[in-house]
Amino acid sequence: MIFKLAWRNIITRPLSSGLSAVLLSSSIMVIVLSMLTMKQMRSKFNENANKIDLVVGAKGSRLQSVLCNVFHIDYPNGNIKLKEVDFLFKHPFVKSAIPISLGDSYKKHRIIGTNQNFITQIYNGSILKGNFFNKSLEVVIGANVAAKLKLDIGDSFYGSHGIEESTHDHEDFPYRVAGILSPTGEIIDQLILTSLESVWQVHPHNDKKGSFDLKTAEEHDHHYHDHKTEVSENNKEVTAVLVNYNSPRAKFSIPGIVNQKHALMGAEPAIEIKQLLDLIEPAVNVIYVLSLFIFGISLFSIVVTLLNSMKDRKYEISMMRVGGASVRLIFISIILEGFFIGLIGSISGLILGHSIMGIMARFLNLKYNYQFSALVFDSLELVLLFLTILIGMTAAIFPAIAAYRLDISKTLKNKT
Amino acid sequence: MELAYIIGLNQKKLIRTNNISVKYGEIDIKFPNINLDYGGQMLIMGKSGSGKTSLLNILGGLLSPQTGNVLVNDTDLFSMSNNKRDNFRGQQIGFVFQTPHFIKSLSVNDNLKFSQYMSSKVNQPKIDMLLKKVELNHLKNSSIQNLSVGEKQRISIIRALVNQPSIIFADEPTSALDDNSCYNVVDLLTNLSQENNTTLVIVTHDKRIKDKFPNQINLNDF
Repeated sequence: MIFKLAWRNIITRPLSSGLSAVLLSSSIMVIVLSMLTMKQMRSKFNENANKIDLVVGAKGSRLQSVLCNVFHIDYPNGNIKLKEVDFLFKHPFVKSAIPISLGDSYKKHRIIGTNQNFITQIYNGSILKGNFFNKSLEVVIGANVAAKLKLDIGDSFYGSHGIEESTHDHEDFPYRVAGILSPTGEIIDQLILTSLESVWQVHPHNDKKGSFDLKTAEEHDHHYHDHKTEVSENNKEVTAVLVNYNSPRAKFSIPGIVNQKHALMGAEPAIEIKQLLDLIEPAVNVIYVLSLFIFGISLFSIVVTLLNSMKDRKYEISMMRVGGASVRLIFISIILEGFFIGLIGSISGLILGHSIMGIMARFLNLKYNYQFSALVFDSLELVLLFLTILIGMTAAIFPAIAAYRLDISKTLKNKT
Repeated sequence: MELAYIIGLNQKKLIRTNNISVKYGEIDIKFPNINLDYGGQMLIMGKSGSGKTSLLNILGGLLSPQTGNVLVNDTDLFSMSNNKRDNFRGQQIGFVFQTPHFIKSLSVNDNLKFSQYMSSKVNQPKIDMLLKKVELNHLKNSSIQNLSVGEKQRISIIRALVNQPSIIFADEPTSALDDNSCYNVVDLLTNLSQENNTTLVIVTHDKRIKDKFPNQINLNDF
């Protein structure tokens, strides 16, 4: 009965109780949203960063090199000659060195020239349907690419020059889907993979232009394409080589060797990502502080709401006392009102946070090539739920004391 | 001893007061001693400022007297702890006020049920029976705020009775009512309290009901 009374007191004052709950809910929503985004970003970034020990690419920004070649969300610094990184394939400290070559895309999905080890060793990927690429211009597509673009085995398409904004299609080089990968929940789901030979076949002139600058794709002159010309061994280029070590000593020797070379730069994903997250962290902390500020206001609002409610209900409360309700019962009923406001605010905040995460996930998936999800939960949410309820109840203490101190005789005398 | 009992000299009283008084600033108000039998009815009259409501609040354990004591069922109301007194009031005493107040967020039935809940005596058939008696059964699930003043007053009388208390204290229950409603309310109060063997004490300045109660105290005389 006491629960019913507290609940009815909340819902019969929808405006004032609602305002407090909405304020609480908003702050919880912002906290949850920031927490979920950061959690998934950190986990996906670290997870992928840890898959590769060193990215060897052209000189430029290390972070850009990692973002482009590991996370596939930025442009390449440029290309490197394959012969310059030849030593990596033979080095005793290197477990695997997987070359990748970027340049084209199909409907915003990057086409990566590489070998099968990229799929099987780095991402533990497997073929769901069809086969790995065996011939030039055959592709294996990620599960999301297949689902989103409705591509199936045997389908053909033309790659567009450029990574995000294409300037033209390579209409002379149709790619054919040879296989579809099983879903992994990782970047590979969003990629189109083909052999290095395919990329070299589509872009045989790159050696003539030096670095293959994808940002200035308009400079790309299609007349350079010579479909019959094979790229000579000396002029073969790749965008990067993804290196994994087989010895802890490699960490201290390989980056040094790479960086000594005039045209090469080594970037360690784990370090770059840590620095990136360290850069983002203060901005996220500002959001947390702001949401805590809203949280504070909502608590103040609960106090004011309940105090006003007490003012309106002083005759009711007096009547309850007259009817035998102990001060303890009155106190508990008001604390319960704080409990319900806290409960409504926190649960709706959690639901809102996850729902907005779900909406945002669609955009984030496109932007970062990762599967962000609304259904990721953090144990801190449970702490947040209990903390909000506790704080709602704490905020109700002041009004409860006011009700506790109510002089029944005086109150009724003024009214009767 | 037996003879004294038979003629009522030694009869056990439900309410007994001894030299109670209250003080408002410089003003001391002394009240006459009250002795009221089980099932008895009493009208306490007095003009405004004579201390009627204060006396009723003292008898109901809502206001501590400056001096004296109040025995209800041989229990000294003000020697109890606040918690015990609240509980005692819930179990033994029902109140009816000039302006009936209810828990606005609850329905008629829930208001009556909450009264029983506070004294741990939840008894839905009793509520239904009393609602039928005052012909308000059809408003059982209505919001209390949708009731007319007269309906509210009848519900407040039922509320005072749902716990089957020993005493009902009514503070100016008729002052705001027209003649017809006034007599209906008094009849309802007297009949229901008689049927339930409940002692009834009404304080009022409303002279229209003076003739209804042979047992009267006029505070203006003290």
